[in-house]
Amino acid sequence: MNLASLLSRERINLELKSTKKEEVLRDLVYMIKSKTDAELIYNTLLKREELGSTGIGKGIAIPHCRSLAVSKLEIAVGRTLKPINFNAIDKKPVSLFFLIIAPPQDPGNQYLITLGKIVQICRELSKGNLINKPQTPDEFIALINEIEKKLTKKR
Amino acid sequence: MKKEIDIMRLLKRLFDLDNLIADKEADKKIGFKIDEEVGLLSLKRERANLLKEIPKEYADTYERVKKRYTLALAEVKNGFCFGCFQQLPTEMLVRSNEIVTCPNCGRILFWREE
Repeated sequence: MNLASLLSRERINLELKSTKKEEVLRDLVYMIKSKTDAELIYNTLLKREELGSTGIGKGIAIPHCRSLAVSKLEIAVGRTLKPINFNAIDKKPVSLFFLIIAPPQDPGNQYLITLGKIVQICRELSKGNLINKPQTPDEFIALINEIEKKLTKKR
Repeated sequence: MKKEIDIMRLLKRLFDLDNLIADKEADKKIGFKIDEEVGLLSLKRERANLLKEIPKEYADTYERVKKRYTLALAEVKNGFCFGCFQQLPTEMLVRSNEIVTCPNCGRILFWREE
């Protein structure tokens, strides 16, 4: 499974204006769903953050959960214009967000595999200082594709 | 009295919350930090509060089905219960605004609001 193929241009926003954790989560969720479905996901995400921040450090967070509101794995990406406080493990502000929402029943465990893969890719992004490099959604997808290829070669 | 549509929303929140709690070990394995004390306690408190808001008959059904199948809610798609994959009686398919259970497996059925 190829991560870049799960990303779509319409669901990547590299110019989020939000300055608060809650606002960013809402912005991201509304890229995928609207109305009551979006509110259900938003609610679950807030609870997930209470269980422990999904800010993995070095400016990146991966908010994620399973929700009844989706029938397949959905991903959205956002980058805020200014880094925001997300209670990340290294206490540093976060600017890049990968939102992953999976359906409750998930044959083949695609959700956890994708989540693990995104964590790996995010480590490469921060290692190479690449968080702010892509300027357009297309450039972002190309960069993820490139990192993914490099990681597959390493294996 | 609460409307069934509102009760259904509460059941969905409860269901998502239960999945969060169930997924915490997998999250830890992937490398996420989980707060086993304050965080988990807060989720359990939220769970208890949600249960209080849901009328007893539905809360009991939810808990009973969860014990048996883990996932207590199932989607209705193309006339089938997507929990047990049995075809549902036609007369049930018009009841998307009510809370109904699958006559075969007993899971609480929901229709996607699309």
